[in-house]
Amino acid sequence: MSGQTDWCAALLDPARTVPAGLVTWNGSDPVQRFAVYRNNVTVSLMGAIADTFPVCQALLGAARFRALARAFVRDQPPRSPVLARYGAGFADFVAASHLADDWPCLPDLARLELACLDALHAGDAEPMDPATLAAVMAGPERLPALRLRLHPSLAALDSRYAVVSIWAAHQGDETPANIDPDVPESAWVLRHDRSVRVLPMAVGDVRFIAALRHGLTLGEAAALAADGADFDLTRCLTVLLREQVLTGIHDPDLRIHP
Amino acid sequence: MTTTANQTVTAAALALALGTALTIAAVPAGAAENGAKEKCYGVALKGKNDCAAGPGTSCAGTSTKDYQGSAWKLVPKDSCVTTASPTSPTGHGQLAAFKDKS
Amino acid sequence: MISVPSFISSPADAPRSGRHAGLPPRAGVGLKPQHIPDILDERPDLGFFEVHAENYLVAGGPLHADLTCIAERYPLSIHGVGLSIGGEDPLDRDHLHALRDLLDRYRPAMFSEHLAWSSHGGVFWNDLLPVPYDLCTLNRVCAHIDQAQEALGRRILLENPATYIEFAGSTLSETDFIGELVARTGCGLLLDVNNAYVSCTNHGRDVHAYLAALPLGQVGEIHLAGFHRETDSVGDPLLIDDHGSAVDAAVWSLYAWTLERIGPQPTLIEWDNAVPDFARLFAEAARAQTCLTRADAGREVAA
Repeated sequence: MSGQTDWCAALLDPARTVPAGLVTWNGSDPVQRFAVYRNNVTVSLMGAIADTFPVCQALLGAARFRALARAFVRDQPPRSPVLARYGAGFADFVAASHLADDWPCLPDLARLELACLDALHAGDAEPMDPATLAAVMAGPERLPALRLRLHPSLAALDSRYAVVSIWAAHQGDETPANIDPDVPESAWVLRHDRSVRVLPMAVGDVRFIAALRHGLTLGEAAALAADGADFDLTRCLTVLLREQVLTGIHDPDLRIHP
Repeated sequence: MTTTANQTVTAAALALALGTALTIAAVPAGAAENGAKEKCYGVALKGKNDCAAGPGTSCAGTSTKDYQGSAWKLVPKDSCVTTASPTSPTGHGQLAAFKDKS
Repeated sequence: MISVPSFISSPADAPRSGRHAGLPPRAGVGLKPQHIPDILDERPDLGFFEVHAENYLVAGGPLHADLTCIAERYPLSIHGVGLSIGGEDPLDRDHLHALRDLLDRYRPAMFSEHLAWSSHGGVFWNDLLPVPYDLCTLNRVCAHIDQAQEALGRRILLENPATYIEFAGSTLSETDFIGELVARTGCGLLLDVNNAYVSCTNHGRDVHAYLAALPLGQVGEIHLAGFHRETDSVGDPLLIDDHGSAVDAAVWSLYAWTLERIGPQPTLIEWDNAVPDFARLFAEAARAQTCLTRADAGREVAA
């Protein structure tokens, strides 16, 4: 076994003996010195998780969240030196834990918080030129076959729980209203003008985005979204335009509108 | 018409929706249709046009000590109130005190 | 909003050193997102800003928008914290490519990394972990530096570490190890004076002798930061390099001692935990600038 393999085994497990061959100048306990590294690793990664999931933390309370974060860090230390997406497995980890029995909304809340972080760091894209849209409206018969290009930050989620309301209740300083956690909710998450926004939407609206992301045409996506679900096409298109997350339209029979 | 029944929405319906959306979106956003629930993420709420940076990498060590707790144990499920609670913003009541075995 | 004093010299008439055409030999600070509105409002007179490379390896969004604004107004230093140059594993080629893209995008005046490891077996530990100072490690670190300088297309600076423990298997001193790898690879030294003080205290060494034994002629940048004081199991001080407070008086004194020997160098104030408001951070940089200005005047008198 190499030295660094020994270090790795001991870093996340305080019950393990420290690697062999460590010395101190004054004969002080090497275990205490090695603990500085254990502490740096664990606390910094727990901090990264706490930064990404502040509402989960508020929900659970600091002590319970810390224990959860510490368990996650030990189970799934980061695989990349870029920590921007560290915690991608957190929601599933929570779902598999006993916490999900008592806090069933927690995994979806974690997914919503990760979606916010992803939206913050997603790629940049210019919104579509309104003049191009006007040109599209001049040939309405082509509308069903168009494909919409969406901003990289736009994501859509739904949950069996009121995670959007719970999340929103932890953002402002207004007194939180009484929230029934067992009401299903859906949301779009997007970045507009530097800010990430979480917009309460309907189940069909979420399905609409998923269909467009899969490359379906506007007509197909709208039909799929409306099939047995609450869906408002006008609202969806209005939000896409107002939030500037419609970045292009592809007309297969004519040309690509930038 | 290029539509097929049940598989796509008609051109007329799309044109109406898009036309309406263009009109609504052109109006300056005031009381938007999303109403009071629409929230911005991070420090933008604190009135700063700034980003909330994600988890950062740092070359600094930490003096906060929290690495020893190993097992994590939760109180039994039946001690948790899972109905809506007027005192909790989450709707879920609080679990009893958590024990961190360290 | 905030009141920031002006430095005596502006970037335009700052003294230039031919050896370090990149960063001006002036004081800079680490860029924190929460300070950016103040910085863009006040345009503080600073020599440069430094960022951690890995925080900017994301696709887009406000972090890049802000850094672009700053890079248009100030020299930029990019400081890597995740390349794991001291690692036993090969360097992560994808990470090297991502760093190269970042350097191509921002064209910083300086890129630096650490004499440490942070990745092993596919796991990133988010800490700068120490290496033993032996010939095997020296060869490996030199190969990694060569590879990084080749992949990044530039000379890099390597930072002396803050360490808390030593290896029984070390056969070289830290200063000899650093001197050798600087000589073999042609990389420069990022002299972290706080790290030097922390390590020498933690290992019972004479810090002046330590500094004097480093290849000071190859210093391309200096770091200053605060540390946290603890005590080890026999009651001796154990200092933690936590970047969470003002620079210690002992470190200021070592900094002045260093500048007397090597003249003004680009100097960064690192304050990464318990980050103060911008005015407080700027005041710390102003103090470093005063030392730099004095060192420069001392040089002219001597010359």
